[in-house]
Amino acid sequence: MTTEKIFFREAIARAMREEMRKNERIFIIGQDVGAFGGSYREFDGLFAEFGAARVRDTPVAEAAMVGVGVGAAAAGHRPLVSITYMDFMMLGFDPLINYGAKLRYKTGGQLTAPVIVKTTAGAKGQGVAHSQCIEAWLMSVPGLKVVAPSTPADAYGLLKAALREDGPVVFMDHKRLFPVAGEVPLSEGIVPIGHAHVCRAGADVTITTHSFMTRVALEAAKLLEADGISAEVIDLRTLAPLDMRTVADSVSRTGALLTLEEGQVTCGVGLEVIGRIHELLGPIPSARIGALPAPVSSNRVLETACLPDAQRVSNAARTLLGKLAGRSGGKIANFVPNSQ
Amino acid sequence: MLRSMMLIRAFEQALARRNDHGFQLLSSGEEAVAVGLCSALTGNDQLLTGGRSIGPALARGLAPDRVMAELLGRSSGTNRGKGGRGHLADPKAGFFGAHAVVGGNISIAVGVALSMQMSGSDGIVAILFGDGASGVGALHESLNIAAIWNLPVLFVCNNNQFSVSTPRSAALAPRNISDIGVAFGMPSRTIDGMDVELVADVAREAAAKIRAGSGPQFLECVSYRFSSHSTTARETRSREELASIKSLCPIERHMKGLLAAGIIDRDSEAGLDSEVADIVAGALAFADASEFPDPAEVLTDVW
Amino acid sequence: MIYKISVPAVADVEEIRVLEWHGEPGHRFNSGDLVVELETHKAIVEVRAGQPGVLREVLSEAGKWQQIGLPLALLSDDAGEPLPEGADSAPDLLVDFEIT
Repeated sequence: MTTEKIFFREAIARAMREEMRKNERIFIIGQDVGAFGGSYREFDGLFAEFGAARVRDTPVAEAAMVGVGVGAAAAGHRPLVSITYMDFMMLGFDPLINYGAKLRYKTGGQLTAPVIVKTTAGAKGQGVAHSQCIEAWLMSVPGLKVVAPSTPADAYGLLKAALREDGPVVFMDHKRLFPVAGEVPLSEGIVPIGHAHVCRAGADVTITTHSFMTRVALEAAKLLEADGISAEVIDLRTLAPLDMRTVADSVSRTGALLTLEEGQVTCGVGLEVIGRIHELLGPIPSARIGALPAPVSSNRVLETACLPDAQRVSNAARTLLGKLAGRSGGKIANFVPNSQ
Repeated sequence: MLRSMMLIRAFEQALARRNDHGFQLLSSGEEAVAVGLCSALTGNDQLLTGGRSIGPALARGLAPDRVMAELLGRSSGTNRGKGGRGHLADPKAGFFGAHAVVGGNISIAVGVALSMQMSGSDGIVAILFGDGASGVGALHESLNIAAIWNLPVLFVCNNNQFSVSTPRSAALAPRNISDIGVAFGMPSRTIDGMDVELVADVAREAAAKIRAGSGPQFLECVSYRFSSHSTTARETRSREELASIKSLCPIERHMKGLLAAGIIDRDSEAGLDSEVADIVAGALAFADASEFPDPAEVLTDVW
Repeated sequence: MIYKISVPAVADVEEIRVLEWHGEPGHRFNSGDLVVELETHKAIVEVRAGQPGVLREVLSEAGKWQQIGLPLALLSDDAGEPLPEGADSAPDLLVDFEIT
């Protein structure tokens, strides 16, 4: 056997444990990371093995937590700052974006901040300020890398890769990924940053996505298969820098692109992917699907109404392909309303 | 320390006289704070500042040539011309750097101190910020973390009593800014920032205790700003007020003291004047002879 | 009578990992005895017998994974009862489960 099946949280703990054993400069700070082991038990066992100096609980103070992490990184350590909810990353934007991401540039190469901000995004019944996916806001920051695994193997591999980077990396996981179990290589399986993954081959339409929505895309692909539509699903895995080669290779074969994200489509991940595909390949028919333009309520009915699901995604793909079949001469499909 | 303050004054005034001086925050009147503080720092320590960085950078011993080149945008500057005054840095010389976001460098400084503590270094971190930064949330969060983790940080508030146009009394509730440090349980003092020997003595005492592991301290130095906040900000004070303020010059005060004590005489004073003038002239000449960065550098050192 | 123990329907859980069986085939459990511990992504589930029974066949060994609702083991009232081909027809053993 070359893999073991483990929970998503165990993949994170394993990556941290292995790297912390090898490199004593790596440490973790955040709320409830110590004896509690992390809100999702993603740091289980680390406090017991590495102690309070390297697995430190902090008060609720995201601006200072991120700043302390960035400063310690600039001074030679490799901290991981755990921000329990991605919504509260906003409080740490100043030190991360104004200092961390710009440090190498503004010092003319004298300093750099190899810090990881690990944060959990996504909707799971916790309400308007505890549900957001704001990774699109981060993709345009020069100097900042952003990764988003959708499986335990990728969480393990990308976290290891992130811990080897020279500058700041945002590692985004998702509340709905923690119940997931998956096979993780027994040997060290580093997933390189900047590489997307074709997780389902197909011929008729390319669906690009990331994080929890990858699982929704795969379900949608099954629904489409029943209708004789073959969807290729690409898990982007890294949002900055995007792997446009893998996406372009796929879209040049399928001829149609549907982008899926849990966040807002306005200025979203999908819009960036479509924009770059159009620059590379011309006006390929494309469409975006994401959350409706509303805050994500904790109300079960409203949360479900707001977010993409497999049915809506497959409908969006059908509509895109319907327009493709009906068109003459290369018109671009319009934005697909999520209400379909 | 006299020479250091005189160098800062002469350097900044020469810079301000140029047409291409750019957007600068000058320290005239506040030299004693930077110089007194830096006299307490060793080679193992790191100094971080806000945007009023030129005085502290020179006080810390950065080469005036390379500071001037940086301020005038030359690639021979400390930051290859890419940071300017707002981000001056020379970490190898113990000047971890300036950061132009008001209060933005304070949590960074605490992180640097954490790294030093974890490395077992006996260095300390001094973070210099103004009264204008003292209302920033990150200051309070950083004081708290430095206190609970017993970090080797000297928080130095250079209270020049104005945040651009807002007088300190209109901006901050505590009677003394150092009261903020008291709230977090650390030794905190307010002193006259126009007296370089006092600043030096107090800073050295604090630094020694911090170096010995006693935890962070807060030092407020009350000073006077001789010019407006920046080269683009309008002056808000009257001529009379400014004249009165300038009579408190820390350089003249220190010089008088040294003369009275017989430590220097008029000849050595003149000697210092001319030495400092030469250094500044040399810095300007170095900068003027230096190239601007190649436009291709716009994309280097991003990642 | 042959019974089965299935993975209990714990909220927010799709599959579990079997941690430890507290008896080998042939062991008689009394009401209240801890039969097996299961691990979810969040916590440990202790499955206790709600009625007496003899453990006959372990379908998911320790370290193996199983989905919610699917069978983990076969038990019977008496040690000698013949076992059926599959577990599906067997009724569920009464159990209590506690999440720790």
